[in-house]
Amino acid sequence: MPLIYADIPILSGILLTCAAGLVLILATPATQPGRIKKIGAAASGVTLAAAIYLYLAYDRGIGGLQFAEKISWIPSLGISYFNAVDGFSLPMLLLTGIVFFTGVLTMWELEDRAKEFFALIFLLVLGVYGLFMSLDLFFIFVWYDVSLFPMYLLIAVWGSTRKEYGAMKLTLYLLAGSALILPALLFLVIQSGLGTFDLVRLMAPGTFTPEAQRFAFVLFYIGFGILAGVWPFHTWSPVGHVAAPTAVSMIHAGVLMKIGAFGVLRVGIFLCPEGWKYWAELMGLLATVGIVYGVLAGLRQTDLKYVIGYSSVSHMGIVGLGLATVTVDGLNGAVYQMFAHGIMTALFFSSVGYIYDKTHTKTIAELGGLSKTMPRASAYLIVAALTGVGVPCLASFWGELVVFISSFRVYPLYGTLAVGALAVGALFILRVVQKTCYGPENEKWAHLPDVSFALGIPRMILVSVIVLFGLFPSLLFDLIQTASIPLMAGLP
Amino acid sequence: MNWLAFTPELFYVAMAAVFWGLSMTREDHRRDFHTALVLSAVGVGVSLASAGATADLFFESYRVDIFSQAFKVLLACGFFLVVVLCNELSGVARRLHPEFYLLLTTSTLALMLLVSSVHLLTIYVSLELSSYSLYVLVYLRKKRPRREQTVLHYFLIGASASAIMVFGIALLYGTTRTMYVVEMASILASVISQPAAVVGFVMTLAGFFFKLAVFPFHFWAPDVYEGAANQLTTYIATASKAAAIAILVRLTSLGHGSEALAQVLVVLSIVSMTVGNVSAIVQKDLKRLLAYSSVAHAGYVLIGMVSMNPAGYAGAIFYSGVLVTLKFTCFMVLVKVAADGANITVDQLAGLHRRSPILALALMLSLFGLCGIPPTIGFIGKLLVFTAAMEKGYFTLVLIAMINVVISLYYYLLVLKAAYLTEPKAGLPPLALNAGDSVLAGALIVVITVFGFYPAPLIHIARTAAAVLL
Repeated sequence: MPLIYADIPILSGILLTCAAGLVLILATPATQPGRIKKIGAAASGVTLAAAIYLYLAYDRGIGGLQFAEKISWIPSLGISYFNAVDGFSLPMLLLTGIVFFTGVLTMWELEDRAKEFFALIFLLVLGVYGLFMSLDLFFIFVWYDVSLFPMYLLIAVWGSTRKEYGAMKLTLYLLAGSALILPALLFLVIQSGLGTFDLVRLMAPGTFTPEAQRFAFVLFYIGFGILAGVWPFHTWSPVGHVAAPTAVSMIHAGVLMKIGAFGVLRVGIFLCPEGWKYWAELMGLLATVGIVYGVLAGLRQTDLKYVIGYSSVSHMGIVGLGLATVTVDGLNGAVYQMFAHGIMTALFFSSVGYIYDKTHTKTIAELGGLSKTMPRASAYLIVAALTGVGVPCLASFWGELVVFISSFRVYPLYGTLAVGALAVGALFILRVVQKTCYGPENEKWAHLPDVSFALGIPRMILVSVIVLFGLFPSLLFDLIQTASIPLMAGLP
Repeated sequence: MNWLAFTPELFYVAMAAVFWGLSMTREDHRRDFHTALVLSAVGVGVSLASAGATADLFFESYRVDIFSQAFKVLLACGFFLVVVLCNELSGVARRLHPEFYLLLTTSTLALMLLVSSVHLLTIYVSLELSSYSLYVLVYLRKKRPRREQTVLHYFLIGASASAIMVFGIALLYGTTRTMYVVEMASILASVISQPAAVVGFVMTLAGFFFKLAVFPFHFWAPDVYEGAANQLTTYIATASKAAAIAILVRLTSLGHGSEALAQVLVVLSIVSMTVGNVSAIVQKDLKRLLAYSSVAHAGYVLIGMVSMNPAGYAGAIFYSGVLVTLKFTCFMVLVKVAADGANITVDQLAGLHRRSPILALALMLSLFGLCGIPPTIGFIGKLLVFTAAMEKGYFTLVLIAMINVVISLYYYLLVLKAAYLTEPKAGLPPLALNAGDSVLAGALIVVITVFGFYPAPLIHIARTAAAVLL
């Protein structure tokens, strides 16, 4: 695999920007929330710009790992600070940048303990960026946990609907995941006998016996899978999403759940390809159950956020199904779906968050006719819903399509079930939209203001990204292929 | 004989004499706290100055090397930090303050002697000096219900542990015909498979299992933590634990990787962490909760010793520093919140984020550290001992430890919830911290996070210290 070192450490620059933003926010007095938000917007904007630059500057002809930086960190344990991007991590960095920037803008009206809120968000995103770019197992684990532990406070302090329960459940579940990941990581590092945490060195073929790979892969799959919302470890996810405040839901469903899937890919599949092949059938089964279950559970929900929460379980199931096919197309589709679902769900939560902020209800039955009182807010909701349904020309369509095509080849039954479930899911999402946005107008909400232009900016950005990648899927597929084809070709 | 290598101990003897003198003066003109503060700060300097010393003293029953000196610096720092918290020592009657400092000094002196001792009798005498100082210290707290019972409880368990230890020493002497640790190491290599040697060995360790609060010698911990003055509990939870870890490391390194010994340690480790974590869940009193968390941590530390390789010993040494830092941070918050020297419940932390944001932040980081979540030094400590255990193939042990970490997260989060989520009770003013306290809290935050991200220098020290053991 080609490895090109960076002249300028842009990846570290992204991390340092987050860290600097964090420090600046902590240094600003809490009495000046306006300045805190400006710092937040500026710093997140810089990271987004850097992510876009990386996306454009990545040399697709060469592929492999680019913009690499490597410093020996703890020599006695073989730990190095090793960052680089490839076709899998670049879409994720871009996704993080977009969701982070729009998330900060979405929370522009937050007044309650704004300083701590933005500080925690920055810490969380620092971990997310770090995880997507890191190629050292030690740092992958560190960043994984850095991105998790701010969640407890973010949900428990600023959330709603059983927030303390949701926060506690989420934190315990996710830490239980890392309780499986750390022993598995150490097991592989010791097994290799190389005395290094360097992922690139460890993934050389023949480092691990097939038995070790099968064993470790299960731990990685469950450990990271908890975060990716893999059925039956998903139960924290709807509860956590509903309890979380808007920006946290956006970042959480948009980016954090992708960390789980990305962890399965980067650590599980990269290190234990034998284990991946061995367990693929089971992964496919769990993913399909997740897709069907998410849709069926979603049908019964009366709370808008629960609807999205369960649809996330279902959509992340598609990612899982893509990974389970063990094909280039499946991988491409899975990564594309990760990106598209991230943007889609961010838009979804951001529009529902606006409606909730104004009406103080998320109960579908209490809403109605919003398209008349809040035409713009409902427009965003409808676009998000259509994307979730998988309407062509919107981003999610391509991810789902590619995953389904490859799954029909490998697992015809699972593919059929998944497509059937999604058709049902489309019906129920559209009914939700119908009940909230159309139908008789609820007099109670008639006086409420619509989304202002300024508050609409983050949502417009998300919509335009959805449309852009819906119309030109090759913008991303070309990139992902630079990583997925060599990975499959390198399989034993 | 190189007396310079013995300066830290001599300094603490002199310091004890100063407080002995002070205890005989009238209480209205004394400045006990400031005397203690200055002297203990000088103590840190003295132990730092002799950090590089190496010597064999007193007929080779006392060894000064990088291992012992590193621990002496840690103990001196721990002692100094505890004294810093004593500016409002309201849990102890004013007239008894010199005695309080006197006994704290002798206890520290004893712990310093302990980490350097390489003769079983010196080890035993040092241990007893430290324990007897602590028995009296626990009693010095102002009168409260069940005070006598607590002290008696502590004393009886301590005395039993000592008795078991002496019996173990006798057995060891019987099999090896020597009291010198170094000689014993070479003789034990050939006889470690004999039951008498293993039994004697485990019984000898019992005295330190008591100090470290390892199951089944942990029953004193919750009562004593609750019954002792807050500052004293801080001392017991930090300095005293560090010295116990040091001597356990020194002694287990004699075991030559004995299978039987390792199995005993594995069992004790698993039971300790599980009992500690499960019991901590239901605690309402913050000190009792931290006592059970100490029991759990004793279990994690033992993982480092189970592996019986240099990496494991280095991990345990590192872990002792981690425990001192993290536990001290927790107790600092506790002492500051409980301004009148009373015990506090977890609920009384309510609204800490408003009353003192910096203490709340310090508390959060120390709790995450105790839980072993990166990027804190607590994670590095766990990583080191887990890696060492994994090298020896103890996968299940590591997995059980990680499951315990998840259990412990639950009660740490309950504490955090009280501090961050609830609003202060009406009428509670913001906590008045003086500049020194704020700087100290800030410094602890920096230490916990910066060395959590970049632990290489500390790991190097721990490895160097572990290397001289074998």
